[in-house]
Amino acid sequence: METVAKISTTENILKFIEGSVVPSWMGSSQKQLALDAFKTNGIPNRKSEEYKYVNMEVALKGSFSFSSSNKIPDQQIENAKYLKDAIVIVVENGNYKKEHSQTSLFPKGLTILNITEGSSTGVFQEHFAKYAAVNSDPFIALNSALAIGGVFVHVAKSAVIEAPIHIIHLTSVSDNTILNSRNLIVVEENAQVTIVESYETIQSSAISFANALTEVVVSENAMVDHYKIQDEGDSGSMVSTTQVIQKMKSNFSTHTFSLSGSLVRNNLTIVLDGEYVETQLNGLYITNGNQVVDNHTLVDHRKPNCNSSELYKGIIEDKSSATFNGKIYVRKDAQKTNAFQSNKNILLSDDGTINTKPQLEIYADDVKCSHGTSTGKLDEDKIFYLRARGISEASAKKLLMHAFASEVVDTVKIEVLKQYIEANISKRFE
Amino acid sequence: MANEILEEQIGGEYKYGFVTDIEADNAPKGLNEDIIRFISKKKNEPEWMLEYRMKAFRYWLTLEEPLWAHVSYEKPNFQDIIYYSAPKPKVQLNSLDEVDPELLKTFEKLGISIEEQKRLSGVESRIAVDIVMDSVSVKTTFKETLSEKGIIFCSFGEAVQEHPELIKKYMGSVVPYTDNFYAALNSAVFTDGSFCYIPKGVRCPMELSTYFRINASGTGQFERTLIIADADAYVSYLEGCTAPMRDENQLHAAVVEIVTHKNAEVKYSTVQNWYPGDKNGKGGIFNFVTKRGICLEDNSKISWTQVETGSAVTWKYPSVILKGDNSVGEFYSVAVTNNYQQADTGTKMMHLGKNTRSTIISKGISAGFSNNSYRGLVRIAKGASNARNFSQCDSLLMGDKCGAHTFPYIEIKDKSAIVEHEATTSKIGEDQLFYCKSRGIDNEKAIGLIVNGYCKEVLNKLPMEFAVEAQKLLAVSLEGSVG
Repeated sequence: METVAKISTTENILKFIEGSVVPSWMGSSQKQLALDAFKTNGIPNRKSEEYKYVNMEVALKGSFSFSSSNKIPDQQIENAKYLKDAIVIVVENGNYKKEHSQTSLFPKGLTILNITEGSSTGVFQEHFAKYAAVNSDPFIALNSALAIGGVFVHVAKSAVIEAPIHIIHLTSVSDNTILNSRNLIVVEENAQVTIVESYETIQSSAISFANALTEVVVSENAMVDHYKIQDEGDSGSMVSTTQVIQKMKSNFSTHTFSLSGSLVRNNLTIVLDGEYVETQLNGLYITNGNQVVDNHTLVDHRKPNCNSSELYKGIIEDKSSATFNGKIYVRKDAQKTNAFQSNKNILLSDDGTINTKPQLEIYADDVKCSHGTSTGKLDEDKIFYLRARGISEASAKKLLMHAFASEVVDTVKIEVLKQYIEANISKRFE
Repeated sequence: MANEILEEQIGGEYKYGFVTDIEADNAPKGLNEDIIRFISKKKNEPEWMLEYRMKAFRYWLTLEEPLWAHVSYEKPNFQDIIYYSAPKPKVQLNSLDEVDPELLKTFEKLGISIEEQKRLSGVESRIAVDIVMDSVSVKTTFKETLSEKGIIFCSFGEAVQEHPELIKKYMGSVVPYTDNFYAALNSAVFTDGSFCYIPKGVRCPMELSTYFRINASGTGQFERTLIIADADAYVSYLEGCTAPMRDENQLHAAVVEIVTHKNAEVKYSTVQNWYPGDKNGKGGIFNFVTKRGICLEDNSKISWTQVETGSAVTWKYPSVILKGDNSVGEFYSVAVTNNYQQADTGTKMMHLGKNTRSTIISKGISAGFSNNSYRGLVRIAKGASNARNFSQCDSLLMGDKCGAHTFPYIEIKDKSAIVEHEATTSKIGEDQLFYCKSRGIDNEKAIGLIVNGYCKEVLNKLPMEFAVEAQKLLAVSLEGSVG
């Protein structure tokens, strides 16, 4: 019998953080705060209400390294650039890759920098780490203590950026690795921009665990269209935190597509910190195998006269499990709020699991808030209708699943991206 | 204008706040093994019952108070509570004439006239009442009429003496003492409550009712109710409760268990009107209750209906375990909070059997500085094929200082399940008010009308006698809270 002392992942990580170098853009006091916060909470277990349906302790069992020097073949990088006419930025294993990214000839008003370079600007210092609170979630703390790199995007006042910005995150690891990357997007007054973040992992026997954090600042009258495409394959897991703050009269819409990944957890928080704000949240998750997808959203209505609407849909196959946990929080001052939330699921297998928890927490009276959720199978009547018209059962089911997913896919405003997602979904239903 | 009406209403008195001056037989304050032995001895319990209490108590010592509910309150000091208080003299009562006249007066004031019941006994529609004051059952009416049909309806203490085999078999089978903090506490110190057994094929000819009254100061009330409906049986059961006005917070931690066998049905209705505290949030009852039923066999049905208007803090989730195939669970609830009241209430529907169905209708109304939460769980286990659930949770906000929250949990592990949940939060529509007012209906009446309409779906489920009381209660609690 071996009597090896078991070191928990939390302890392991703590040891590593203490010995790690502080990046210039982080500051040692910030790191200390993050370290303390992580020490208090550690890796959440299933007793933690927020991580009840996803077993992080198992996903993060054993020892991990915190960087990878694997090079990703050029061909694979080229394949990931599926958006035509986009401004492409490549982040390899959490580090911004100059040689694969567009570095000049940006439209007027747009600045995209490696986070290390960006950190010297005043805008960066004004906003960085101001919104993602280290005490609110252990993965924010972990990211704040260990982030190695990322991208800083700045859109100047009144600049309208036509081309989408495609930030491609590619990961390749040989050992079990946790990669912490960090992005900051600041969109100034009256500016408009479209940002697509895509995440892909090169298949390997080792576990890659991405802990990505993006802070987005949407200033007065600004408009931001944000996409997150998660295609991590079987060996990639991720916790993706997006922390958004919206100022007066701004418009933010976000679309999360979880196509693959062994464990995907999304923490999306949007703070409506100004009047007359518009917010849309859309999400689609299609899971199979032993996949676990867990979407947590929080829409925090702080000011009056704002509208938010949320639509998340999921199709669950095999032994996979999907969770939706969405909260609408309306503070005392946020009168005249309209907030809607909808979550719909189709469960296709006997071994799949759906957990859903739509929540309303409301402290203002002159509001209209509602949520709805439904879970069921494919409608037998609809299948019958199609079969009566000579369509085979298999095609009828495929057709219905497409129709179910299309409500979310149709919210994609970039035609090329829509086609890419549709093609991906078709492949899944074959 | 609106504020004046609001003030006026909030200033409305809790009319059951009187204290009855009856000499009581109290246990010393505090909680330890000796107190439990004391209670057990007072009740002249057999050894196995004491053992059960002890096991529960020792388990309770290892537990911590649950903190997950959306309520905040000062933790009760469990050593500062009197766990046994009985109105003196405690003798076996054979007829109403032997009941302490003070007691009778109490129940007259509460609107439950035992004399009236006696006179009406020849009439078709009537209710058998078990009255529990502080720690003991005072009087059960209609016992003889019921026993002709083989129905057992008596105090829990009596059932332990006379039907130990039933108690041994069913007690703790739905809510084991290991269930939660307050269930463990109740299992250790419970004093009395009601027991009801409906034999095979019997349809209970009258509504059964328990009326709970906390009277003595510094006491906690820990009662236990056990209802068993054998195959093909039916019973409709009512529960009501009140307490005097006091500055202290009194603890009420009850356990209710329901078991239904094949084709049986139990309908359980509650109008909960414990003292809610004064308008500054001082005093009031802490109502931490575990209520659960199990549809043990096929085709059985359990239905919970509750109107929650009282208590300072409520923490209550009447649940149904749908074990038998084709069984049905229902939950209809109206929860009203005003002033500084806090309620965290809802239900759990656990679908285990095939073709099981459940319906949840919850209507929350919050006014003043109160917080009102719906918290519920719908779980479809693997293999519970063709399970069906529909949930609707609406909240109405009156005033901008209160909160209304919805926390539903839905866990599905079977592909043939169909589960729907919807919830809305809003205030009383200005257009609805305008409509009423333009027809000469004043503000207060209009609100009463709208609120009653809003709750109608639930109130309709209450038995006649309770529906009237509930409507009146709603009117008292809410009229004019918005304008």
